[in-house]
Amino acid sequence: MRKINLMNEASRNAEVVIESVRKPPGITTGLPGGKKVAFKRYVAATEGGLHAKLVALHGDGLAKALIAGDPEIDRELVGREVGETQTVFLSGEGEVLHASPSLVEVIFGTDGKERERKPAESVPANTNEESPVRFTKLRLKRAELVTKFAVVRTIQIKHTSGLSYDFLYAMAKELADKDEVARLGAGPKGRDPLIFQENGARYQAFLEGRVDGPRYKLLLHLSNLELRTLAAAAS
Amino acid sequence: MAKPIIVSFGGVQSNFDHEKLDRAKLYGRRQRQVLDPDGHRCEKAELTRDGTLLVRSGMTAQGYFDDSGAWVPNNRLVGLDAAGNPVPLQPSTLGEPQTLQGPVAPTELLDLAVRSVYVLSPEGLDPKLEAELKAGKIYKFTFNYRADYKPELAFLVGNASGYFALVGEPSESDWLELQTVVAEAADEADDDEELDFEMF
Repeated sequence: MRKINLMNEASRNAEVVIESVRKPPGITTGLPGGKKVAFKRYVAATEGGLHAKLVALHGDGLAKALIAGDPEIDRELVGREVGETQTVFLSGEGEVLHASPSLVEVIFGTDGKERERKPAESVPANTNEESPVRFTKLRLKRAELVTKFAVVRTIQIKHTSGLSYDFLYAMAKELADKDEVARLGAGPKGRDPLIFQENGARYQAFLEGRVDGPRYKLLLHLSNLELRTLAAAAS
Repeated sequence: MAKPIIVSFGGVQSNFDHEKLDRAKLYGRRQRQVLDPDGHRCEKAELTRDGTLLVRSGMTAQGYFDDSGAWVPNNRLVGLDAAGNPVPLQPSTLGEPQTLQGPVAPTELLDLAVRSVYVLSPEGLDPKLEAELKAGKIYKFTFNYRADYKPELAFLVGNASGYFALVGEPSESDWLELQTVVAEAADEADDDEELDFEMF
């Protein structure tokens, strides 16, 4: 259960729970009789069976070698299921790296060309329990939000006690009554985009409220994409 | 080139060419690259849990397998509903007129788990529909990029920049009341995501 520290416009804050909204159960893949099947990842070739290695080994005779002896297939390993794995990095020479690698951040322009290269800095999450996520002054009508931004993720905010129920219900009701969403910000000044994990994506966050009698929904809509054509972006 | 998106509004058809809206094309992108001590770019690979196999790019494939462990070719696979009954394959909606429903409330679109966003170029837009979209109205229609067992839902919107289709499936959230208190559960890790340009 993940918590955030949410601050309202009156600078009152509370720790509340966030959970992703659910997708309904979908269609599964199976066989015509209703039997289910399992999706698996398996070894299709060993390192020695990769094209580059085979070319290096057989040169122009590769085609004949493939026909004659199936050198690309290691019968001991091909077909073996690949379960959980650990990420490793290989050096430029193709050896497993045992020393700490260095990280660089490369910035590409909209044309796909490299623009800048600099040592990568770690960007911490800013939606933890200590630093509050707060209301900014920006409000939009719901209709304006959905025609200007693509909401790529939605998180539901939930209360953990009677006090936080009152806190969140009031917030949801005020937003619902006005048919508005409020932009939330993080960071020391409360204006930064929200980052949910170290070095993660930055999201513009818009809080929407819905009420039905004593019930409420408080939904945090996250967007990292404006609805804008490339021509409009270029101009 | 893919067939157009065709929608029908009040019996009048409008056609749109479509292209995915790509963040990298709008904002550029940032990428974190890993370098070895000599400054060469590292290749990402995987090591199996038992440590016996180093899995490099190009060494794996994936597929469906039955209970006996036998590989099942894709052309034998079908879609199954929650009760395990086969569901019919739905054809692609591209090039086929889809009736617009709406206007719908913005909350319906806010409940969509968006999977793709398309920029639409009108090739014959009904003036009445154009006026509706320019007024900020939202319409929905069935969308299947290619034949699939579960068509998705698309929402058609417009703004000063152009016209867009947001495609996905509806998500579900809970109505909460005073008595509903969230139970403690294990932490859920967020998806890995690349650091990108800020939007503003």
